[in-house]
Amino acid sequence: MNRIIEVRNITKSFGGFLAVDDISFTIGEGETVVFLGTSGSGKTTLLKMINRLIEPSSGEIYIRGKKIDAQPPEILRRSIGYVFQNNGLFPHYTVAGNIGIVPGLLGWDKKKTLARTTDLLEKLHLAPDTYLSAYPHQLSGGQQQRIGLARALAADPPVLLMDEPFGALDPITRSSVKKDFRHLDELQRKTIILVTHDVQEAFELADRIFLLDKGKIVQIGTPRELLFQPANEFVTSFFEDQRFQLEAKLIEPGDTISLINAFTHFKNRPS
Amino acid sequence: MDQQPSLWQFMHQESAKLLQQTIEHIGLTFISLLIAVLIGLPLGIYITRNQKAAGLILGAVGILQTIPSIALLGFMIPLLGIGPVPAITALFLYALLPIIRNTFTGISNVDPVVKEAAVAMGMTQTQVLFKVELILAFPVIMAGIRTATVINVGVGTLAAYIAAGGLGEFIFGGIALNNTNMILAGAIPAALLAIVLDFILSLVQKMSSKKRQAALWSMPLILLLFSSFYVLPVGFSSKLLAGFTPEFMGRIDGDLGLRSIYGLKIRTVVISDAVMYKAVYKHKLDVISGYSTDGRLKAYDLTVLEDDKKIFPPYYAAPVVRTEVLQKYKELAPVLNLLSGRINDSIMTELNFKVEYLNQPPEKCARDFLIAQGLYKDPRAGNHGTIRLGSKIFPEQYILINMYAMLIRGYTDLQVETKTGLGGTKICFDALTNNKIDMYPEYTGTALLAILHPAQQEIRGLAGNRDSVYDYVRRQFDEKYQLSWLQPIGFNNAYALMMRRGQAQELHIQTISDLTGYVKK
Repeated sequence: MNRIIEVRNITKSFGGFLAVDDISFTIGEGETVVFLGTSGSGKTTLLKMINRLIEPSSGEIYIRGKKIDAQPPEILRRSIGYVFQNNGLFPHYTVAGNIGIVPGLLGWDKKKTLARTTDLLEKLHLAPDTYLSAYPHQLSGGQQQRIGLARALAADPPVLLMDEPFGALDPITRSSVKKDFRHLDELQRKTIILVTHDVQEAFELADRIFLLDKGKIVQIGTPRELLFQPANEFVTSFFEDQRFQLEAKLIEPGDTISLINAFTHFKNRPS
Repeated sequence: MDQQPSLWQFMHQESAKLLQQTIEHIGLTFISLLIAVLIGLPLGIYITRNQKAAGLILGAVGILQTIPSIALLGFMIPLLGIGPVPAITALFLYALLPIIRNTFTGISNVDPVVKEAAVAMGMTQTQVLFKVELILAFPVIMAGIRTATVINVGVGTLAAYIAAGGLGEFIFGGIALNNTNMILAGAIPAALLAIVLDFILSLVQKMSSKKRQAALWSMPLILLLFSSFYVLPVGFSSKLLAGFTPEFMGRIDGDLGLRSIYGLKIRTVVISDAVMYKAVYKHKLDVISGYSTDGRLKAYDLTVLEDDKKIFPPYYAAPVVRTEVLQKYKELAPVLNLLSGRINDSIMTELNFKVEYLNQPPEKCARDFLIAQGLYKDPRAGNHGTIRLGSKIFPEQYILINMYAMLIRGYTDLQVETKTGLGGTKICFDALTNNKIDMYPEYTGTALLAILHPAQQEIRGLAGNRDSVYDYVRRQFDEKYQLSWLQPIGFNNAYALMMRRGQAQELHIQTISDLTGYVKK
């Protein structure tokens, strides 16, 4: 797997407070990485430093071997998709206008933009005829979040940053939007960094989870590694409450040992 | 005289002037608004980026807003003189606060998530400002511009005080003349203007976000277009600029007569008589409506244009005395008539100049004159009886009353009691008819128009003729009030058009007809 993102000794302090403390890692092309942690763990700060919404106090970040501050920030950002928790749609733009923002900034011609917009809407199960000229306030929360994703994907960026993209949705809408996301074929090809505090979500979506606490990475690994080979007490206790559901998610055919383990654990769990 | 035409008739009669004033008013409002937008909008944007400056700038323009408008205009006169510049400056300062404050508030209140999204999509700072912040803040910014517009229309009426024109000319002229129609002819259009502009801007404010971008860019152009209204009348104007007092503007023996009888079409500004003489001296104006014996005529080297078509009724001064007193003291009338024919316009102007500008006491001025004329005599016994002399409250009357007092004391055995400074015409006249004083100097024109109020036709019948007016008021006073007019002193303190002597000579203008002819060329 080719390295696409490389972070070296990155630190960010706000005043005296160390939000991100000397973190280094690499992310491979096409990988889906989840920054998992409680609020204040530094996960969002870390995410925003990748497209320079926040400038680091020290350290370097490379995308495809190129230092990210080697070009103006707006040029960098046009090649990185960004999905917000509260969609961040422009209330004064239609759906088509919102999805067409980055193509517009990149100077695409209008036909190409419209074709791409229509294509994305169809993939997200939103009838273009109805929604192209609708305004964000006319849409439901789930629809707004889908448009937010379409906007991030419009110019087909190789990297997608998602800041708690399902955080503001109710449970039913959340699972339906998540289903659409998972089935979107173009997401498969993308390098995705997703920030969440939702352990279940991290386990569903992540190739690798970066578990953060107090500005440091506590453990990097697949969901399975984090659950069964925890680096320390913190990691164990972090998943403790939902261990059964998480283990059940990880069951694969023939994986009897895990199932028995999980079941035993569930039975012995102090109530 | 008291019959006034209906408001509608008045507005119809004055429609040309009304239109000009309305256009000027719109122009004044929009020029100042344009400058306020051009400065306030960037300043408002700047302080959203610099919170430290925000407090300072909002505080400073907030203080400006608390200065009463008339005082602000007052401050402007020593700094910027009279005319459009100080008026526009004052209006601009008033418009600044709502525009800066609303720009600041509007942009600050844009959802930070939307702003961050714009940055995260890859917009530059400028793109974020023009595509997101200004568009979303648009309704709030427009509300500020709306407020500023309404303020400017209102405060703009005060511009008439400093010769900047606008609907205030009618309003303040109407107040000066106690002419309700005239006040309303200014006030109603001003109110309508405020309402209409407010309504139009409310529509702009509610404009859909699609059209806002276009509105934002076209706003300066529209403001510029309306601003040009103010310049347009200047473009069409005559070579000379006249400044008339609000009172003069509304009188038939004033601007109305100049236009209807002479056909004088000169660009006119309304100005208070306090600054008028100085303004013409300083070349801010070319023609003014002064009083023909004012001392400033001499002080500023002005010349009076001859009223060759006699529209200004004569204001010849003469002593008005209770007939009863004249009969009781037969020696009085000949003494009072000693001054008759001795003081012409230029002599009276000279005397006024001494008192008004050289600050001589009226008594010394009167004595010097009588001595020079060989009329002065030392006081006699003064045991025969007492004559009570009254005067209005301006220098000319003080001088005259001092002369009469000296003459009576020198030529008769009568004692004199002076009651000077009795305010205006009404107070002197009431004092005389109520036997509180025995005489005061009055002017034929004032007696005619302010006391007798004859019908317009009768006034026209007198044709501004010195003798017929004098005869008319003498007869009327005798019949109605048992008051006697003695012989006129000689000078005529009437309304007069004045110009700088040098300019009048250069343009060969001696009469009002010459002026009309020159302006028409």
